[in-house]
Amino acid sequence: MNSVITDLLPMRFGRWGKIWAAILLMFCAIGAYAYFLQLKNGLVVTAMGDYVSWGIYISNFVFFVAISLVGSLITAVLRLANVHWSTPLTRIAEIIAVSAIIFASLIIIVDMGRPERFLYLMLHSRLQSPIIWDVIVISTYFILSLLLLYIPLLPDLKILIQVNERNQPRLNRFYRFIGSFWKGTPEQVRLSEKAINIMCITIIPVAFCIHTVTSWLFATTYRPGWDSTNFGAYFISGAFLVGAGAVVVAMFVFRKAYHLEKYITELHFDKMGKVLVMLALLYLYFNINEYLVPAFKMRKPESAHLMDLFAGEFAPLFWSAILVGMVLPIAILLFKKGRKPLPMFVAGLMVVVGAWFKRYLIVTPTMLHPFLPMQDVPQRYHHYFPSWEEWAIVMGSLAGALLVITYLARIFPIIPIQETISEQHEKAA
Amino acid sequence: MKRLRNFYPFLFLPFLQLSVSFSAYAQDSSRKSLLVDLSYHSFNNAAMYLSVHAKTKENGKFQPVGGVRFRLYLDKDSSACLAGDAVTDIKGSAIAILPPSLKNQWNSATTHRFVALSDQEGGFNSSRTEAAIVKAHLEIDTGQGKTIIAKILEMKNGEWMPVKAVEIKVAIKRSGSDLAVGDKDSYTTDSTGTISAEFSRAGIPGDKNGLLTLVAKVEDNDTYGNLRVEKSEPWGAALKLTDTFDKRSLWAARFKTPLWLLLMEYSIFLSVWSVVIYLIFQIARIIKAGRVA
Repeated sequence: MNSVITDLLPMRFGRWGKIWAAILLMFCAIGAYAYFLQLKNGLVVTAMGDYVSWGIYISNFVFFVAISLVGSLITAVLRLANVHWSTPLTRIAEIIAVSAIIFASLIIIVDMGRPERFLYLMLHSRLQSPIIWDVIVISTYFILSLLLLYIPLLPDLKILIQVNERNQPRLNRFYRFIGSFWKGTPEQVRLSEKAINIMCITIIPVAFCIHTVTSWLFATTYRPGWDSTNFGAYFISGAFLVGAGAVVVAMFVFRKAYHLEKYITELHFDKMGKVLVMLALLYLYFNINEYLVPAFKMRKPESAHLMDLFAGEFAPLFWSAILVGMVLPIAILLFKKGRKPLPMFVAGLMVVVGAWFKRYLIVTPTMLHPFLPMQDVPQRYHHYFPSWEEWAIVMGSLAGALLVITYLARIFPIIPIQETISEQHEKAA
Repeated sequence: MKRLRNFYPFLFLPFLQLSVSFSAYAQDSSRKSLLVDLSYHSFNNAAMYLSVHAKTKENGKFQPVGGVRFRLYLDKDSSACLAGDAVTDIKGSAIAILPPSLKNQWNSATTHRFVALSDQEGGFNSSRTEAAIVKAHLEIDTGQGKTIIAKILEMKNGEWMPVKAVEIKVAIKRSGSDLAVGDKDSYTTDSTGTISAEFSRAGIPGDKNGLLTLVAKVEDNDTYGNLRVEKSEPWGAALKLTDTFDKRSLWAARFKTPLWLLLMEYSIFLSVWSVVIYLIFQIARIIKAGRVA
């Protein structure tokens, strides 16, 4: 058997894998229980209210939508640009994209309170509303991401079916169910190549749409901090950054867990480091635009919101998000030594964690600063701190997304086997 | 001498009486004083009413006082002359229309006095405020070339006589307040009691027939109070209301989506989903190619 196949076949969970999956399952179970409480008692279990009606559920939704964009960046953009070094990273990116978009859809249903409202959203939809545009574009992106994961997987499924003695019987049944028709004939290869190219072209505008429309949920609402024509580009640049950061973290973890040092090399880290630093600089540029221009004008209705971010209640979080999410990763990644696996992992982690809090800062402080002053309301309306149920559901959803990634990596090769073999043959030739 | 010494304490009795009396007549220092403005208003020389505004000084600032009940009288504070009761609102203001029952009393004199009384309640001392006016008549008319003519007359010896040197404002009635018809805010009457103002607001929106309400008013005049007359003229631009109710718009109901938006959305949706369907069709072709092989 080809050593590439041996190296890249999905492996059973080891001890750490089982512990990792158990921890994630525990978080999911706590989240499910908190959601049960929310279903039973209503949204009253959350800390949301008249003013902060979008809390960490929406922040989490925006985070998931952002991270899902990575599929289009790594797979589509780099493939169309004829960049070959990204081949080992494409499957990781596609898996992250699929899991993120699944949980983006789920968390928005959680935010609705009663899940049947999603049905009402469909039945009574108004096509004038950006919310409906978001529903349509997320569904479309989900289908395209699934296809982008599935079609390039077909040659690998043939390999998985061939090495059936190494797999569990039920996995073999599953592989045969989804991929037994792939024989690798020239016609099939031609059709698959054509489909992948069409998908790569299609998914880029759809990916731009998904995050632009999500940004319009905010930008079309006249509120301090959201009233910006720059929001689409600002969101997309942030999404590419967090997506690339997630890929870097996943690269490091999978490389360690599956001993893939031969396939995900320091060169890949170096290249991804350069991509990441460019995206971090771009996002920092958009942040400067988003905050400096309104701060320069300091219009009265905006000043309370901005001052709260710069020097008020949210200042520690705001400056930490800027520092941890952008400035420090840039400082690390600008240097060649910083683009080694471990510093890259740290930088990637910083980007992802910083990005989550950045989404929180985009949503909540604005909700606390409406144009009409908050008067004659209870003191608690002036602040928002999520309830334990909200935290549990959000942590559960994040754990759920990681669990999907973990199980997809358990079922499918995390690095495309057939493509790697073909590239090796091309290099040898 | 002893008798005289016994008399000394009685010498202090007048001072004691004085101090007691002073306490009895002095206003309760724990209560605040009300500052009351009382004014007379005449609208189109037909509807007369009184307005009161109550305020007090708190922390060096004037604050309106709501919930104060005033009794308003014409000429004297007797029940026969009661014009009405009025309770101040949150802004400290209240009005009372002069009732028809006082018509004869109103017509019997050329000058009148108004009295506003409030009782001691709600932490405020009782108050009494008076205002006096001379009955006056304000007229508005229009002349050639969009000129507005206003005239003020006062009752003298049973006749309406023009009044010289009175400030009259001429304006157009708008939703929020009145808009001056020209560059000047107010005009001073000549010996005929008349002013003339040029209308220079061409093109200003009127009602659906282009009608504008022209206003002549005398405000806070020490002698005549507040007088206001109105007259409608078709000098404005006819207002064409664009009713978007139940029409296709971004804010309309779900089946009233603008056609351009529908076209855009369906075009994008169909073009993207036709690709998705094509891709699924490609998978079907791949499956078929596998079976053939």
